[in-house]
Amino acid sequence: MRHILYPILAAALFAVQIPGASAITLHAAGSTTVLPVVSTAATVYHQQHPDVTITVSGGGSGVGIASMIQHTADIGMASRDVDEDEIAKLNGKIDVLTIAKDAVAVVVSKAVYIGGVHQLSLKQIAAIYRGKIKNWKALGGPDAQIFVIDKEASRGTRHVFAEAVLGNAHARAAGASVISGSNNEEQALVAHSNQAIGMLSNAWLNDAVRGIAVGEGDHAVLPDIRHVRDGSYPISRSLHVLLPKNASPEARNFTDFLLSKQGQVIVKKSGYLRVR
Amino acid sequence: MLNLWMRASAWICLAVVILLLGFLVQQSWPYWQQYGFSTLFSGDWYPYEKLFGLTAAIIGSFWAALIALSIAIPTGLAAAVMSTEILSGSWRSLSRTGMELLAGIPSVVYGLLGLWVLLPLLQSSLGLLTGHNLLAAGLLLSVMVLPTIMVMAQDALSEISSEQRDAAASLGMGWSERLWRVLLPQAWPGIRSGILLALGRALGETMAVMLVVGSMDRIPEPFYNLLAPAQTLTSRIGREIGESAFGSMHFAALMACGLLLATVTITISLLAHLRADNTSVART
Repeated sequence: MRHILYPILAAALFAVQIPGASAITLHAAGSTTVLPVVSTAATVYHQQHPDVTITVSGGGSGVGIASMIQHTADIGMASRDVDEDEIAKLNGKIDVLTIAKDAVAVVVSKAVYIGGVHQLSLKQIAAIYRGKIKNWKALGGPDAQIFVIDKEASRGTRHVFAEAVLGNAHARAAGASVISGSNNEEQALVAHSNQAIGMLSNAWLNDAVRGIAVGEGDHAVLPDIRHVRDGSYPISRSLHVLLPKNASPEARNFTDFLLSKQGQVIVKKSGYLRVR
Repeated sequence: MLNLWMRASAWICLAVVILLLGFLVQQSWPYWQQYGFSTLFSGDWYPYEKLFGLTAAIIGSFWAALIALSIAIPTGLAAAVMSTEILSGSWRSLSRTGMELLAGIPSVVYGLLGLWVLLPLLQSSLGLLTGHNLLAAGLLLSVMVLPTIMVMAQDALSEISSEQRDAAASLGMGWSERLWRVLLPQAWPGIRSGILLALGRALGETMAVMLVVGSMDRIPEPFYNLLAPAQTLTSRIGREIGESAFGSMHFAALMACGLLLATVTITISLLAHLRADNTSVART
């Protein structure tokens, strides 16, 4: 009996060990705006390189950058630029690769849009977030209190939005009614309300979550890829992946893939502007 | 050998608790040093402006736990009395199994249920801007701590000897008299332990609360306004720990929230055990 069992056991050990020895798992963390691109790319990449598996998790740009500082992920994702403090902490050890561009849309609930709010100026949006305007009626919309959705301070979208609208990435928003986290959470909040305003990447708009034009009078611009490309939309930004300078060849190969033709097709399909 | 192993395990448990508290104290030390205990009474929490006031989250945690207990205590006790005193054997074990199942559901599932069912319900029935608020957190927590209270009360009730029950019956006591004069007082030490454990869980629960509480760092206005988005100590830690760099003041402030929670819950648990021990000694 024993002489039959040993080869089987040995074979079983081999079966476990061989893929275990050559398989590589990379972890990407950060912005939930960049996440759809990276996670789709990870799937395609894994089909082409079966020995490399890439796990992807969210948390926000702040988490993506913190994961680079604390070495808790192989690849960071950020939907905003790295600020001075962070650059100092990273000490030049990170490559910031821009893989796409998008617009931070100012979104409203469908009912508000249908009720007549199709565009707002930056000043009006700032007044809403500062708590100076509290009812949609003052902006030509339905007679309903404004449900102001702010985001966690760590979120890249919050950073870019607050910088453009309130003048400072960390400005207080006294008018905020609730704090949301990921893009999914924000999208659900707006969709479930009839009186909400929020901030979302242009790729996350849908029938229940409408993007409005931003600007004064006739100069208001819609948050779409065309206006990101020609630079006329006022709240647009670059989407980055972060890679340690001493990253493994596999990690670097994957970020090269994101910038390759194939990777850029995924960027476009995800609803963002390609950079190559 | 077994003896040695058991001793070692006990010491390891104790060491883990001490290490944990030590870690929290060490990591939050810069915060206490720079801001001191006065921040316990400051409401402004703006990490980027170096303002780390804890009041809003403390009040939030307090209300959420209070709502949870004020619903779960009467309900859990009633359920325990019903199943030990009134239901027949198979129904009794069925209700107990149900409670144990409830206790086993991961908290994120409760959180998602809250998101999908509870929040829209609160929003539409109370005409609110959003269902995210302390009431939602309290309601969700009440379901989560219910099993603890019920199961502990059930155990305490079924421990009461049949002689006690017979004596009460032979004295001609009515049902309600037996309940209030004999059963509940006799079972009280066990019930109290259950309540204190439930309080600890309600204070410490993170995931479910984080999903429904709204995470607004604002002191409720007026302070009993439970229908506005708020923040608890746990939801703040859950939301912000990922971005705070290890060793920064922000991190130290979050660790201070953790230390506060750990101190309160450990004190509560100790209280639950001490009281239970004392009374069982007194009874024998």
